Amino acid sequence: MNTPRSQILNLGANRPSVEVLEAGEGAPLLFLHGAGGIAAWEGALPLLSANYHVYAPLLPGFGQSTGLQYLEDQFDLFLHGFDVMEALGLERPFVVGESLGGWMAAEMAALRPKEIGRLALAAPVGLWRDEAPVVDLFGKMVHELIPYLFHNQSCPAAQRMMMLTMLFSDKDDRTQEQVEILIAMSRGFRTAAKFLFPIPEHGLEHRLWRIAAPTLVVWGEQDRFVSPIYAEIFREKIPNAEVVKIPGTGHLIGLESPEPYAEALLRWERDQH
Amino acid sequence: MKFNWFHLMPYRWLPDNFRERYHGVWVDLPNALYDPERGHTLYNEYLDMLEYADQLGYDAVGVNEHHQNGYGMMPSPNLMAAALARRTSKAMILVLGNSIALYNPPTRVAEEFAMLDVISGGRLIAGFPVGTPMDVNYCYGQNPATLREKYREAHDLIIKAWAEREPFAWNGKYTKLRYVNLWPQPIQKPHPPVWIPGLGSIETWDFCAERGYNYSYLSFTGYKRAKKVVDGYWERMAALGKEANPYSCAFFQQICISDTDAACEREWWPHVDYFFNRCLHLYPGMTAPPGYMTEASIRAGVAAQAGNTSMNLGTNKSWKELVEGGYIIAGSPATIRQQVEELAHSLRCGHLGLGLHMGSAPIELTNRSTYLFATEVMPHLRSLWSEWEDHWWPKALPEARREKPGSHNAAVKAQVERPMEVTA
Repeated sequence: MNTPRSQILNLGANRPSVEVLEAGEGAPLLFLHGAGGIAAWEGALPLLSANYHVYAPLLPGFGQSTGLQYLEDQFDLFLHGFDVMEALGLERPFVVGESLGGWMAAEMAALRPKEIGRLALAAPVGLWRDEAPVVDLFGKMVHELIPYLFHNQSCPAAQRMMMLTMLFSDKDDRTQEQVEILIAMSRGFRTAAKFLFPIPEHGLEHRLWRIAAPTLVVWGEQDRFVSPIYAEIFREKIPNAEVVKIPGTGHLIGLESPEPYAEALLRWERDQH
Repeated sequence: MKFNWFHLMPYRWLPDNFRERYHGVWVDLPNALYDPERGHTLYNEYLDMLEYADQLGYDAVGVNEHHQNGYGMMPSPNLMAAALARRTSKAMILVLGNSIALYNPPTRVAEEFAMLDVISGGRLIAGFPVGTPMDVNYCYGQNPATLREKYREAHDLIIKAWAEREPFAWNGKYTKLRYVNLWPQPIQKPHPPVWIPGLGSIETWDFCAERGYNYSYLSFTGYKRAKKVVDGYWERMAALGKEANPYSCAFFQQICISDTDAACEREWWPHVDYFFNRCLHLYPGMTAPPGYMTEASIRAGVAAQAGNTSMNLGTNKSWKELVEGGYIIAGSPATIRQQVEELAHSLRCGHLGLGLHMGSAPIELTNRSTYLFATEVMPHLRSLWSEWEDHWWPKALPEARREKPGSHNAAVKAQVERPMEVTA
């Protein structure tokens, strides 16, 4: 498995400072993470970096990235995405976004359509239908989220997450290291909440028609967090979009079914040439 | 020392299987459990209790704001305060308070508090809580990551609206108003005393110290467990060079009084049990949205290893454990007297918020407590802290200049109800 390099991008005074994880060779792929951040270089990430030069910037509040206070609203967030792209020297990259990152990627592609080469959205949030409400990420105990995030709760990634949730119990017997993990997780969730609370919908749907990049929408067939019905809305509203559904998979596709997910991205991207 | 009779106004008819059947008392508890006709009785009974406290000479009657829950039925405490403004005459009116980040524009709070102050003849104490996560984030949809910033802006706007005598423009991040021009103005100048309820964060202490506000520590876990937090408050005040005036600090304590210690458990246990195990049955998934607490407060809470998490509210405890742990002060007036005195000295608080109604307690029990406290306890503790001036108390109009509700009708009744003049 290739391990990522980590670098810190200083975007300037009164702007965020961004940790970027980077691995692999080849065409650039900008990876935008979900609300859980990137806990480890695992799941689909090593598979993608076997074929691409993967750049995975962390949002302020995740990893070593700081400066959430400079992103006051969602448009600051999307423009921040472009700032990072520019600082990394990426031109019309292949952008892959998962969940929160998928929403951000779709918004960026709608905002500046010419600057995104290709787009892959893995179970993105950003739309809303009353008949299929997106699960409230911020109104549950952490361990209760697991059945919503994974189809197979005994898969290794779900088990690892279950272990982590023990830190949130009200027992006060944590080690200092565990306290730091807990604080780091709270910091990341705070960032997610700033842009997604209380309902992760800010008008993306009426901007989707602007997206020019060829788009692949990937969804876990058993996603209980963001219903697969949203895949059809993305396909309908984005001018050049296809949908791939991954069987036996919940919301965290990259962690639960990394191989079929990475293969779907690679196959689709090859077919574009 | 001052004694402020505070009502939470719980819904008294949550079912016996409540804890097993529902995951929490707040936010998403189905409102099918609420019976409006019982609610009609409860509001009136609860207001009667507060009016009785006024008649017995309590210093203030208090109400507060909560939403979508069976724990406290006052989504609008200002409505309750308005009713009290007309039906009480001596007690100050403690609204603790309005969660000011919820109001759009926040000048609504400035207006309503000014109305209450004017109606009551300057008896208002204006409380500005951030509000619980359940209320402000989950029920009212405020973003936890920006809530405190919005709260501060709302505060600054309200204070300025009370102070300015000319229209001004407010170009805030959360509120933009071309013309702010408050009618009516409060009677109290520059504004009613401001009390800030908090749960022990250093940021709130600094805010109170900087602005000269009263800090109200609202805890349901009682005075013994509060000691550590309140000591922290006094240490911080000392560090900031503020005088240790006991009246800058208020503390809320639940108290059950009966004629004898033995009668107390028998009379009060069902209602205490109802309070701790139904009213405080909180779903942990909705008590700590990310960003609600500052990182410093999380770190302090996590690292203190004091068992002081938000969940540790006294559920599943026996009467003995609750009494010995100081969650409640319970017993005969003599017992109460001794323990309230201990509380006052231990916490150095000049304002005691009294929870004399608890959970499902009916009015005969509550009023008996109210009566015994007023006649057997209060007189002995009145003089405590008398060497200190209370800068956090309303400057109401003298009683002689306060309007008596109904007096205008009475004055003109004969004239108005005279026989019709018959024209030829």
